[in-house]
Amino acid sequence: MKARQTSFRAFLHDARTGSAPFGYLLVGPLVLWLVITIAIPLIYAVYVGFTDAGIIGTEADFIGFENYATVLGDAEFRSAFGRSLIWAVGGAVVQTVLAFATALALNQAFRGRRFARTWIILSWIIPTIVIAILWRWMLNASYGIANFFVTTLGISETPIDFLGSPKWALPTVIMINAWRWFPFLALLILAGLQSIPGELYEAAKVDGANATQRFFNITMPQLQPVLYVVGLIGTLWAFNIFDVIWLLTQGGPSGATQTLPVMIYDRAFNGFAMGEASAISVLLCAFLLIFSVLYIMFVPAGESDTEVF
Amino acid sequence: MTKRNVVDARMLGGMSRREFLKIGGAGLAGAVLLGVAGCGGGGEEGAGGKVQLTLWHQEQPPNRVQQFQKVIDAFNKSQDQFQVRQQVQNWEDAYQKTTSAIQAGSQPDLQFTIPDFTVAIKQTGAVQPVADIVEEINSSHPFLENAIQPYRYEGDTWAVPLFGMIQMLWYRKDMFEAAGLDPESPPKDWDELGEYSEKLTSGDKYGIGITSSKHLYTDQEFYTFMITNGGKELFAEDGSVTFDTPNNVDTLAFYNDLSRFSPPGSNSWTWAEPQAAFNNGTLAMAIEKGQFLGPFEEESGRPASDLGVAPVPWPPDGERGSIYYSNAAMLLTDEEEKKEAAKEFLKFVLEPKNYADLLLGEPGLFLPVTQDGASPAWKDSEVLSKYPEAVNLMVEQSKYGYLFGFTRDKIPQGIGQISAENLLSQVVQKAIVEGDSPEAAVAWGQQEMQSAAS
Repeated sequence: MKARQTSFRAFLHDARTGSAPFGYLLVGPLVLWLVITIAIPLIYAVYVGFTDAGIIGTEADFIGFENYATVLGDAEFRSAFGRSLIWAVGGAVVQTVLAFATALALNQAFRGRRFARTWIILSWIIPTIVIAILWRWMLNASYGIANFFVTTLGISETPIDFLGSPKWALPTVIMINAWRWFPFLALLILAGLQSIPGELYEAAKVDGANATQRFFNITMPQLQPVLYVVGLIGTLWAFNIFDVIWLLTQGGPSGATQTLPVMIYDRAFNGFAMGEASAISVLLCAFLLIFSVLYIMFVPAGESDTEVF
Repeated sequence: MTKRNVVDARMLGGMSRREFLKIGGAGLAGAVLLGVAGCGGGGEEGAGGKVQLTLWHQEQPPNRVQQFQKVIDAFNKSQDQFQVRQQVQNWEDAYQKTTSAIQAGSQPDLQFTIPDFTVAIKQTGAVQPVADIVEEINSSHPFLENAIQPYRYEGDTWAVPLFGMIQMLWYRKDMFEAAGLDPESPPKDWDELGEYSEKLTSGDKYGIGITSSKHLYTDQEFYTFMITNGGKELFAEDGSVTFDTPNNVDTLAFYNDLSRFSPPGSNSWTWAEPQAAFNNGTLAMAIEKGQFLGPFEEESGRPASDLGVAPVPWPPDGERGSIYYSNAAMLLTDEEEKKEAAKEFLKFVLEPKNYADLLLGEPGLFLPVTQDGASPAWKDSEVLSKYPEAVNLMVEQSKYGYLFGFTRDKIPQGIGQISAENLLSQVVQKAIVEGDSPEAAVAWGQQEMQSAAS
């Protein structure tokens, strides 16, 4: 207690003297901006969740927890939540496998490595709307190039409606999103790989370790801090992705790709149920908060916890 | 130099704190000024003191935007009080963009609309009554009754009709011939429609485009079938939902059956896809509005004479009809000057000599809503002159046009939500995509519509 009081007193002292006031002056406008653009809308959204708000801007009455009761009892909400989990986990697995393979390849010396390292990010920098148009075109069941290969190579006798079939739509959208984001992940992993001292691998070779043993006993532990951060931030990001799903399928066909963010948007702006949509977004936020806390508490951060947080 | 100053200087890239504050302060002030300048100006006085009128519309194709601009430029040049500028939106997010803009106070002054959209936006309180404008125009250029009727309720009129759209059966005469069918005898009833669809489906050719995506297009196509089978009334006289009927169950069953002859991918079709399939020779028949006329020759590589058009077939105990949209302009400003500007602009647009230019934004799709609108300038234009029979048929079919929820004098409030949620297409998806029985799908639709309407 005394230590805390001392450090708080020290904080107050620094706030009034030294370089701290200048530092606060520099970050002040940004903090104010964050309060205006994030905190206030967030608090307002929580409030709207307790009202029967319909179309945005119309009058609404306070109804307590009625929206939460409605949403939690709604099978559509539970389905969307389940789909969000599949989306997040499925995407994480695919992206991680692709990113790891790419990073390991880019970590080798080969001709054109610099070119590859530069242009690997192409899918990541293309705007989402362009990606959606390209993939809708390529996957079109009537004239898309994907089905040209599917039918020509005998994979299927009839074209596959990748985005229009309930069976294929979600895996397809997961793959497209993974294609989009894995370069970013690959670059993070590559940076981690390049920071691993080469002596560790040499010593392991001298001790007779094979490639698999070196990977699991040196590479993976050394990458743990990177994977820890990527796992947390990547999961939070993935859960909140809306744009690529909406542009490709609008949550269809028949709700097959309706994740929670899509459901929130649809409920708010097409269903004219802003109150319910706000309640769903608060529930999603609460879930992600609990996930983050549990993740930080139980997932090992790597060699040194303080290096990460 | 003290240790603190050294630290500060390193932080500030070698500058002193005073220099940094001067430069930083000047930069911040400049950014604020730029922001204020950017935020200012939403329809106030423009160049030369003219009253600015902002028009939003959802007709995105470049040819339409260009043609609208021609009309707007002509209006702006014709007088020196008002200036109109257009801003293009899209139907996919029109509901949320418009309501958000109204909430922010940055809505347009005038916006193109369809009846169910007007009902939804009216809930925000921003839609202004325009009975006076409609009456004034009507005295010189009488409107078609089914163009005004969807906007007349609660003792007033809520938008000024601009152009109509009607669905027809479009068919490829060359593909009919190739399949051994008479190209001058399109199907007249449901039996023939099913029979022809099957005959025209072979290999990579398909008989008819039956869309089943969660999209306004599906709403429209399915509703057209509903009309022909006695299902045009979605609501009873007392405002209750009457969707779950034996006729609608039969309609959905037939629609589902026809979907066997539709190209793969029609589960996820959006606007231009059926037309693309029709023009590239994949699809022999499609039920859509008149935009098929304009690009047919160029995109299909076939002569105009290969494009056939007919009323949508109806069953023996059904009736002729198809979905009809009266597109209009709704007023979202209560400023008197801008109301005057909007009135003058709309009067200008509906003058026959200017009206033809507006309608030619999409020849064949935009149909006149005034009795004198079918002028020679419109009918004898480059595209429409090649399809005189089609033009006359569409004008004729407009008399049998209906729109779900707007078939009675009283407009149910829930229709805005039913349309925004594409509930009709969701019913179609239940049957075609999820495999539910037509009875179960229609029952589900009834429940959802009741919930939306309550």
